[in-house]
Amino acid sequence: MDRCSGAEVEVRQAVAPCLRIVSSSRDSAEVTEALRTIIHYLEGGNASASEKAEFNRANYTRVLQVLVSSLSSDWFHSLPAQERRELWDGFFLRGPPDQALLVLLDTISSTSDGSGLDWTVSVLESFLSAGRVGMLLWSRCLETNGRPDSVQLRETILTRLSSLPDLTANRLRTNTPARLLPQQYYTDLARDVLNTLENTCRALRAGQDCSLGFVAQLLGKVCMQGHGELVCRTLAPRLSSLTRSDALWRRVSCKLLENVPDRWVESVITALIHHLHGASALSRVMGNLVLKNKKVQFVLTHKVLLLQYQHPTQLLRTVLGYLALDHDRRPLLKQVLRSVCQVWSNSSAVRHTSLDQQLYVSKALLLCVNLLNQTEIQELREELLQCMLGGVQCRLDSSTEHVRRMGMVVGECLSQKLDTPTSQLQFQVIFRKDFVFLIRMLSSYFPSDRPQPESSGQSAEGQSMMSQPPAASQTSAKPAGHSSDSELDSDDELTPYDMSADQVKQKATPPRYVRDCLEALMSSDDPERVELSLQTAEELLRKNVSTAREVSVQFSKVLLHLEDRYSTAGFHTLRQSAMVALAVIHTQPVVEYLTTEFYSLNYSLRQRLDILEVLALAAQELSEPITEKKAVSQPVARAVTLEQCGEVEHWRQVVEKRIQSKTRRISKGASQPPKAAPNRYAPVAAYFFFPLLRNYDRPQVTFDLLGSDHLVLGQLVHTLGLLMHLAVNAPVATQMGKALLDFVWAIRFHADQMVRRGVLFAVCAVFLSMPGENLLLELSDDLVETRAWLADVAESDPDADCRSLAVQSLVLLEKNLKTHLQSPSMET
Amino acid sequence: MVMARPPPDPLFTLRGSAAPVNTLQFHCSTAGRPLLYSGSEKGCVHVWNLNNRRAERVLEGHDGASVIWVSTVDSTDAFLSQGRDMRVCVWDLHEGRSAVTHSLRTGSVGFCQCSLLEAETNKTLLALPAEHTEEIKVMELASQTPVRSLIPDSKQGMLMCMKMFQAESGPLLCAGYEDGSVVLWDVSHGRPLSCLKAHPEPVMCLDFDTDRQKGISGSSDKTLTSWIIDSQQNLQMQNSVLLTNPGVSQLCIRADGKIVAAAGWDGNVRVFGWKRLKPLAVLQHHKDLVHSVAFSNHPEASQRLMAAGSKDQRISVWSIYSES
Repeated sequence: MDRCSGAEVEVRQAVAPCLRIVSSSRDSAEVTEALRTIIHYLEGGNASASEKAEFNRANYTRVLQVLVSSLSSDWFHSLPAQERRELWDGFFLRGPPDQALLVLLDTISSTSDGSGLDWTVSVLESFLSAGRVGMLLWSRCLETNGRPDSVQLRETILTRLSSLPDLTANRLRTNTPARLLPQQYYTDLARDVLNTLENTCRALRAGQDCSLGFVAQLLGKVCMQGHGELVCRTLAPRLSSLTRSDALWRRVSCKLLENVPDRWVESVITALIHHLHGASALSRVMGNLVLKNKKVQFVLTHKVLLLQYQHPTQLLRTVLGYLALDHDRRPLLKQVLRSVCQVWSNSSAVRHTSLDQQLYVSKALLLCVNLLNQTEIQELREELLQCMLGGVQCRLDSSTEHVRRMGMVVGECLSQKLDTPTSQLQFQVIFRKDFVFLIRMLSSYFPSDRPQPESSGQSAEGQSMMSQPPAASQTSAKPAGHSSDSELDSDDELTPYDMSADQVKQKATPPRYVRDCLEALMSSDDPERVELSLQTAEELLRKNVSTAREVSVQFSKVLLHLEDRYSTAGFHTLRQSAMVALAVIHTQPVVEYLTTEFYSLNYSLRQRLDILEVLALAAQELSEPITEKKAVSQPVARAVTLEQCGEVEHWRQVVEKRIQSKTRRISKGASQPPKAAPNRYAPVAAYFFFPLLRNYDRPQVTFDLLGSDHLVLGQLVHTLGLLMHLAVNAPVATQMGKALLDFVWAIRFHADQMVRRGVLFAVCAVFLSMPGENLLLELSDDLVETRAWLADVAESDPDADCRSLAVQSLVLLEKNLKTHLQSPSMET
Repeated sequence: MVMARPPPDPLFTLRGSAAPVNTLQFHCSTAGRPLLYSGSEKGCVHVWNLNNRRAERVLEGHDGASVIWVSTVDSTDAFLSQGRDMRVCVWDLHEGRSAVTHSLRTGSVGFCQCSLLEAETNKTLLALPAEHTEEIKVMELASQTPVRSLIPDSKQGMLMCMKMFQAESGPLLCAGYEDGSVVLWDVSHGRPLSCLKAHPEPVMCLDFDTDRQKGISGSSDKTLTSWIIDSQQNLQMQNSVLLTNPGVSQLCIRADGKIVAAAGWDGNVRVFGWKRLKPLAVLQHHKDLVHSVAFSNHPEASQRLMAAGSKDQRISVWSIYSES
């Protein structure tokens, strides 16, 4: 104690006069001399260890502060660069790094622009490049229980270290050197952490205790601040390779993660998982942390799987594989499977979560099931079956095709795992390519499992080949006894005649009169005749308009009730185009007929949907100007049902836009203004529109629009929207818009996303087509509410299309508002 | 590239049968005038003289019931006709006579044609469809004694067509059935030797070439299938060819084994090389189904004609690939 206080007094007495000289003397030689005295106490100086320790403890910071304050003195400026580096910089680079760092950062944030600041920054740079941060970390590791650091100091250093780029950038702005930018700094920091861990390993081998507390906290804090990505990109691969061969490294890395405080552990773990490839790497780096730390357990078994869904499939594989790798962790896998099952089979989740999330959960489910072994599957069989049946059923009920397909694919895959080969669930659908990866989930983990189903598939295929009737060109099966070689080459002598006249013979001829065509469709039992009649129907009707008018309603009735008895190719398109032709040629009666039939008894959903499609297409055709050469297929392709128009149209639009933007049009003068023609749709729009709104709330025995038949409701709303949109500029548009808004207002919170999509589409159409002033007049009471509703949908609807449509409506509404508010001010 | 020759026109056409022509048979082997027999739907058999191209005689022996098969018997100079009145009539046509010497009752209500086999051993066998739709009866023609009854064990449906021929081991018979299978029968032992599922649809017609041990069958669909009998007397699929229009009512292999003709339901006669079923010609003349096609057995190769009988009541006679 005495010795210690002796050293204290001694050092203070030696340092104090020197400091006084440095701070007040004007003689640079004197100052240099004083500094050289103090240098002895730094690393590499010749003072005794106890004196150095005392200097570091009590005087170092003071010395640095004095040096900083001399930055603007004459002495500092008169110092040659070489000596300046030795006498000034040396103090910062050779003392305890934590104190130096604090002083440097304080200086940077408090000094104003000037050479002093520049110098300090360059010192900070050399501080970093000299590996002083590594020294700092390592010194913290060694303080296992020696000096009980003040919590405040520790916290301060942690904050400064973790946010150094922010602190410097705040002061230096665009002049920040590259080394102090996050990219470089955090990569270096990760390297320092690795070096520290390496030192730790070395020390542990030598029997020395170390504490990883500070490093772990630093790691946690950095990740928490969002730099986990940068740090782990360096850290994770290195850890993965080091832990592969060395058990001590494994212990150290587990210890490190254990020491990360709970509040930060999540960000560390997620960043780490993203950069560790493979379950075994994660297992090596993390050990059984998931069992020890509740927070980690929650993150890995719940949050990553069920609450988030932005992660790549690789991460799912890593996490689930990690749970499956160790015997102790397998119960967790089962627990995960149970909760995933619960979510997958939850019908509310199917309705209220986005498609991406459902896909993510499906992937997790299949991966989980694939990781289970046979006994575990048997153990969980009941629950899995329950999940499969419930989940598949509620997906099949969905009106979105994607969801249905997903249900079928996952159901098949599960059944493949659960059931005996004879009693497997099978759907007869041609799976789209976008679900192939789901199926792949099952196969990629156990390559040993694969050959078996493959070989059985091959043999089955072989059998079916055998049982098939002889194909057209079976030339291979030539017998040995009567091979053709022994025969004369008689065939080759005979030259064939011209056989081009050999054509497929058609028995029936297509009908030439509208009435013949109608007759054939109504009563013929000859498939060929019916097919030919159907094929020529549209052309005949359009050619013979006056005859077509005479039988238009009857023809429509026949077509509406026509069944595809002979599985005619393109039956639906042919029938639809014929019906559209009728509705265009003789609009009023045909449309009246169709709209009344829409709400009458004993029609199938398909027929009702057909009616809607025909009405929409006919309205579209009527609203377009008559062109010489009618592209028949074009409008059909454009106004197809909601389901089909999703992605196919999308890419086509993108391509078209791109072409448009790249095309330079040269012919400027030659283009003629389009000839004005009366809109044929405007006068008859009411016939299309209002009857469809008449009976929607009157449920019938076979048709309950507001109840279970929401598929038709969705299509109806969509069609109404389309009819509205086409009626732009028509006088009747205002009334139509009013009625449509009233109608959709009642069903805007419908549970089915197809209906909601239709509603938003209709709203968009109203905003587009209704004259601005009338719209605002109509909306005036509900304007605020409408906006709130649209904003809410735009933000939180699980369906992406709904969200974008809502945004679109909002934009349209704002535009309307703006023009309306501006125009009166201009008038006055 | 030389343009392919246009298909030939018929040499001449025989009109006057006044009914759809069901079956044809040439008779040119003996000295004297070459003849063509044709059986019509009205129950008449016309005997055409090919020199003056006129019907020499009309034989009526089936009470107006459709005649579905005619054949000459070389050994006894007799003539056979099979009608849908369930009878096969044996005619004596010597010296201007035209009398039915006797008739055999078949009991068959189907369309299957009989098949005649004149072996060297003076024993003429006739295979007839029988009362049970899948049964074949084989009888000795001279003594009218039944030799065998051939009934398949498995369900192959109605008997559709057959062809009897002489092999080293004895008479064999190929029969086509309703389910599309072709069965090879050993007539002397009355047992099936082999079965081949040649078509998915009923076998409508078949013909067999004894020199090459190779046969061909047609169906109501678009394929013609050829098959061979291997050394173990098993039927084996060999080759197949796709037609433009479905349905073949008769197939006939020319005696020299160079070509095979198919009577199509689309009114065309198609000619193929017999070796590899290479399509050679499509003869378009008839306006309705072609029911029958036959090659003449004229001793002079250049005089060997082909005749096709159609539902449009005409018989077209062609000379095709007869130059060499």
